[in-house]
Amino acid sequence: MKLAGNDMLIQSLINEGVEYIFGYPGGAALHIYDSIFQQKEMQHILVRHEQGATHAADGYARATGKPGVVMVTSGPGATNAITGIATAFMDSIPMIVISGQVQSHLIGTDAFQETDMIGISRPIVKHSFTVDHQSNIAQIVKEAFHIATSGRQGPVVIDIPKDITSPDNLFDFEYPKEVNIRSYNPPLDPDPLQIERVVEAILNANQPVIYAGGGTISSNASEELKELNSYINVPVTNTLMGLGVYPATDEKFLGMLGMHGTFQANMAMHNADLILAIGARFDDRITNTPEKFAPNAQIVHFDVDHSSVSKIIEADIAVFGQVKNSLTAINSLIKKRSAEIDSTKIQKWHAQIAEWKNSHGLNHDLYKDTSDDKPILPQAVVQHIYQASKGDAFVTSDVGQHQMFAAQYYHFDEPRKWINSGGLGTMGFGLPSAMGVKLAYPNEEVVCITGEGSIQMCIQELSTCSQYKLPIKIFNINNLSLGMVKQWQDMNYDGRHSSISYEDSLPDFKSLVESYGHVGIKITKNSELKNGIEKAFSIKDKLVFVDIFVDPNEHVYPMLVAPNGSLKDMWLSKGNKT
Amino acid sequence: MIERQLTLIMENKPGALARVVGLFHQRGYNIDSLHVDPVEDFVPYKFIEDELNIKFSKGEVSRLIIKTTVGDALMRQILRQINKLIEVIAISDNESTYLKGILRDENLL
Repeated sequence: MKLAGNDMLIQSLINEGVEYIFGYPGGAALHIYDSIFQQKEMQHILVRHEQGATHAADGYARATGKPGVVMVTSGPGATNAITGIATAFMDSIPMIVISGQVQSHLIGTDAFQETDMIGISRPIVKHSFTVDHQSNIAQIVKEAFHIATSGRQGPVVIDIPKDITSPDNLFDFEYPKEVNIRSYNPPLDPDPLQIERVVEAILNANQPVIYAGGGTISSNASEELKELNSYINVPVTNTLMGLGVYPATDEKFLGMLGMHGTFQANMAMHNADLILAIGARFDDRITNTPEKFAPNAQIVHFDVDHSSVSKIIEADIAVFGQVKNSLTAINSLIKKRSAEIDSTKIQKWHAQIAEWKNSHGLNHDLYKDTSDDKPILPQAVVQHIYQASKGDAFVTSDVGQHQMFAAQYYHFDEPRKWINSGGLGTMGFGLPSAMGVKLAYPNEEVVCITGEGSIQMCIQELSTCSQYKLPIKIFNINNLSLGMVKQWQDMNYDGRHSSISYEDSLPDFKSLVESYGHVGIKITKNSELKNGIEKAFSIKDKLVFVDIFVDPNEHVYPMLVAPNGSLKDMWLSKGNKT
Repeated sequence: MIERQLTLIMENKPGALARVVGLFHQRGYNIDSLHVDPVEDFVPYKFIEDELNIKFSKGEVSRLIIKTTVGDALMRQILRQINKLIEVIAISDNESTYLKGILRDENLL
């Protein structure tokens, strides 16, 4: 088959099974957009800003496990995509970003809308390609998808000059069936010797904890993790990125750990004698001061990425490979040796954890207080959303206090349902990522929990939601200020609130969303909260934006004491620490 | 902190060198000296071909020699980060050698 460059590119994406392209056209991408126009297999979603395109593709990828695809033009189109690429990179999300480039003969001349996309994106991509000839397009797309979706996943950029996508020249096209990159060979199966050592360590532990992160979700290893714990029955904590990989309503679940983790999760980690770190990378929000991290624990680290192991916390036993394969290997060996599991051995440990949970665990019943003498608590908002959505929604979030409240109080029982920017902490992520999720799962409830700061960073996408009729439920936890920054200023800067308020310049969100054709609901009193949230869920065919005015002075607790603190050093409430 | 010499064998592709150099800056490492040339004589690298079951041909691969001054733990991290770059085939600091897809780390095993 002979095709022009633009058609080759589009045909390659079709061959990869792409359903949606999130993008924004422009000069250098015009040939490609002409090809998009002339096909029916994929739908192009026109966003209102390229950052929205990358986050939407990212949300799609996180919810489905399939790579998100982004199309942007050169120059500003490409640079606007950068934040979203960095977001995906930090959270190891598979994404393909195709950026138009000026014509080959103009590269390096400061041509109109020219920017060195490969150079700008280099530190925040897993890999990138410049297409230098039409005959390489199919191979490059194939390799890009392979790299993005294997090993430790991540975004891949394909920069393609305009002349390469010209409709005027036809070349032979055949899409490769398989791909083999000799300098890229990520590990799959674990070393059996290491598996034996891990099982030995599990059998000998008195105070074990499973610490599972986002890598367990990317590897689709939730079932294997649950199976493992059905044999060994140990306490499980999840990172912010790992929530849902182990059911939050299971009695062995401790909640999230780290900076705003639960008391019991952080105490269990600090006092453990064995930590099974599964697809987690000992991020600084998890370890607090690394030298003081879990002083008595033997560390077992499962990861597909060699460079993540012993980067921050030295591993005693390292298991390289796809987490799914490693857990499968552990499970089959543990099953064989199940007679050796002494369940009485960790009884004391479970009792200790129950005691921690009872003394300083989170209060999940705040929503029951509906009296109007107090302002609305943001925690209660999340609890009401959990109740009204029956714990079954996809929940995206932005970044800040509302994100932490959502992570703490919405119980995720399944992986890929909690969609947030964990590593980069990108405000503006919530709404566009919810669009990607809703397109992937049109019949599922998709909720975006946001704040009045974050939502305004990508609020233009309300227009996209209108165009494509995406009935997302947006809950704006409105505390009239940048709450997390304010909290830090309260705690570390004697309450000097530098640049965290918008004075009286916030829009009336209800009228704003109505102007896009959506439904707006405004809630200012506790007594209106339950009904207002339930009403939002009862409207099935429209985007509903619920603007909820909450206590502007509320802080997120627990909070790790930093700097120089360990995981047992936490603020539990205002002025009260462990 | 001692001065160490790293040898990399990598695909001779546009942008590959920039990825290695960029990584040093990005991760906060320092380069004392850098030398790069195309590999003409494959005899010293036959073990790579054998281990990875590949065959080099002329003009395909480059050799980088980088000198850097770091401690042990950071050296290991540098090796692993560089080895992660898609176009790097092998990297050695004369104590350990990392080949793509074959993980050997005496400290861990």
